[in-house]
Amino acid sequence: MTSSGDELLRVVPARHVGRWFAGAGVIVIIGMMIHTFLSKIPTGQTLCHEVASTAEHKVFRCVDVMQWRFSWDVVGKYVTSSNIFKGLLMTLALTGLTMVIGVVLGATVAVLRLSASRILAASAWLFTWFFRGTPVYVQLLFWFNIAAIFPTLDLGIPFGPSLWHIDAVTLFTPFTAALVGLGLNEGAYMSEIIRGGILAVDEGQIEAANSVGLSRLKTLRLVVLPQAMRVIIPPTGNEVISMLKTSSLASALAVVELLKAAQNVYASTYEVIPLLIVASIWYLIITTILSIGQFYIERHFSRGSLRNLPMTPWERIVRDTRGVIGKMRTPRGLRGVRA
Amino acid sequence: MTSPMIEASGVTKSFGAVHVLKGVNLAVNKGDVACLIGPSGSGKSTFLRCINHLEKHDAGNLLVDGEFVGYERRGNTLRELSDRQICTERSQIGMVFQRFNLFGHLTALENVTLGPIHVRGETPAAARDRAMTLLSSVGLTEKASIYPSQLSGGQQQRVAIARALAMEPKLMLFDEPTSALDPELVGEVLEAIKQLANDGMTMVVVTHEMGFAREVANQLFFMDDGIVQESGDPREVLANPQTERLASFLSKVL
Repeated sequence: MTSSGDELLRVVPARHVGRWFAGAGVIVIIGMMIHTFLSKIPTGQTLCHEVASTAEHKVFRCVDVMQWRFSWDVVGKYVTSSNIFKGLLMTLALTGLTMVIGVVLGATVAVLRLSASRILAASAWLFTWFFRGTPVYVQLLFWFNIAAIFPTLDLGIPFGPSLWHIDAVTLFTPFTAALVGLGLNEGAYMSEIIRGGILAVDEGQIEAANSVGLSRLKTLRLVVLPQAMRVIIPPTGNEVISMLKTSSLASALAVVELLKAAQNVYASTYEVIPLLIVASIWYLIITTILSIGQFYIERHFSRGSLRNLPMTPWERIVRDTRGVIGKMRTPRGLRGVRA
Repeated sequence: MTSPMIEASGVTKSFGAVHVLKGVNLAVNKGDVACLIGPSGSGKSTFLRCINHLEKHDAGNLLVDGEFVGYERRGNTLRELSDRQICTERSQIGMVFQRFNLFGHLTALENVTLGPIHVRGETPAAARDRAMTLLSSVGLTEKASIYPSQLSGGQQQRVAIARALAMEPKLMLFDEPTSALDPELVGEVLEAIKQLANDGMTMVVVTHEMGFAREVANQLFFMDDGIVQESGDPREVLANPQTERLASFLSKVL
């Protein structure tokens, strides 16, 4: 029979055998990793105790002293210690403040870059070129040592008398040096991100705003930037997460942020790996929280541009669970096609 | 009512080496509905955009309601106005685009209230009330809280008309308002424009809808090669083309 006649045919999805094998392989690898994480190694010490004794002999039973390969006990001891916590707060402050500087600076530079004035556009380009073109670590060391070439900073009339002055050493503490260094560098990256977002907005939107009579600034604020946000948010989320970790470079300027706090501990205890794990755990926790926040912010700004908002992780879990249960109930494709 | 709303004489405009407008002369009186027809590339849209200074013309006089658009006469020169002054002038000229250009991040209602709140300084409540009246006049009351991406082309264009009207303009410009629409949606938009014409709004409509021009317009301008080639009462002009160009254009579109 080539034609099905009046019988309705059932559709059987293809079975992806390769996918099942690959999945199984990955599960084995993950199992091995978990096993390693939870494994113990001998410390090299042995512990002996007397089990039986006669007048001449004493019988001892000795066992190797084992410890967690990843020193989870040490990790557990320090992960919530107050020194680490203070370092974490410093890391968060550094990340938050540099991102504020970066976004404000980046927005300004992006708008200047798109200005009709050649001088403004070129100087904005120059800013980005310089601060994106040199390593952030070099920039940090530069600001830390700025007092060597500018012992005092003066505020006054250009080429004229000074009205107010301050010692560079007073102004550029390790913290402000880190803030300025990271902030300027971030500003250069953010300016490119924001410029890309602005350029992604259709020109018709600007014309429509003009035709309603909105001024240039209001057009930017009310029409262009809200729509550019959809393009700006995802890479900015990356920048925040990246900055969270880049801020660890400030440890080189003796700013006691998370990494430096961990280093200070292992400088005296020599428990290097456990303390690095402690720092990593906190970096991961904050990154996770930031990623969740990013998801909801992206969802907010995609209003109007997507017909259906993306599912929240919870909705996704509910859908997947239902899907798996559904598959268990109906053994699809077992009976083949009836035709 | 014969005082002119638009007076154009010798308006020229080039984009680089391309001369788009080569001396446009036309006059539109208050209360007139003028249709601009012509082949693509004839400069219709460019001229329309010059009327509200979205494009700056190179030479010639272009006056709206007796005033130079975007410029101020000082002796024998025209000085370009400040951004603020141009914005004020533009807010009195409504414009409807071929591709609607609704603000994608705002609901239909917010699209309509944006100008009244941020240009005219109306309170959100007052702007909202007027916007709802305008949306109901174009038959979209129940779409007020919908985003443009969820509206059909015809609905989007009607919101765009309401958005322009919310500024209470003295002149409305339509740049091929139905060209991007599916055929079955053209009617609803033309109906909304016709309604406006009946209310006495002065309008300039760039269009390819000859039936609409014949029925609604009381002035027709045929543009080709950057100038107005023929003008007059739509029914007469369309029935008896005087130039070879118009005759051949009409033979292609009718």
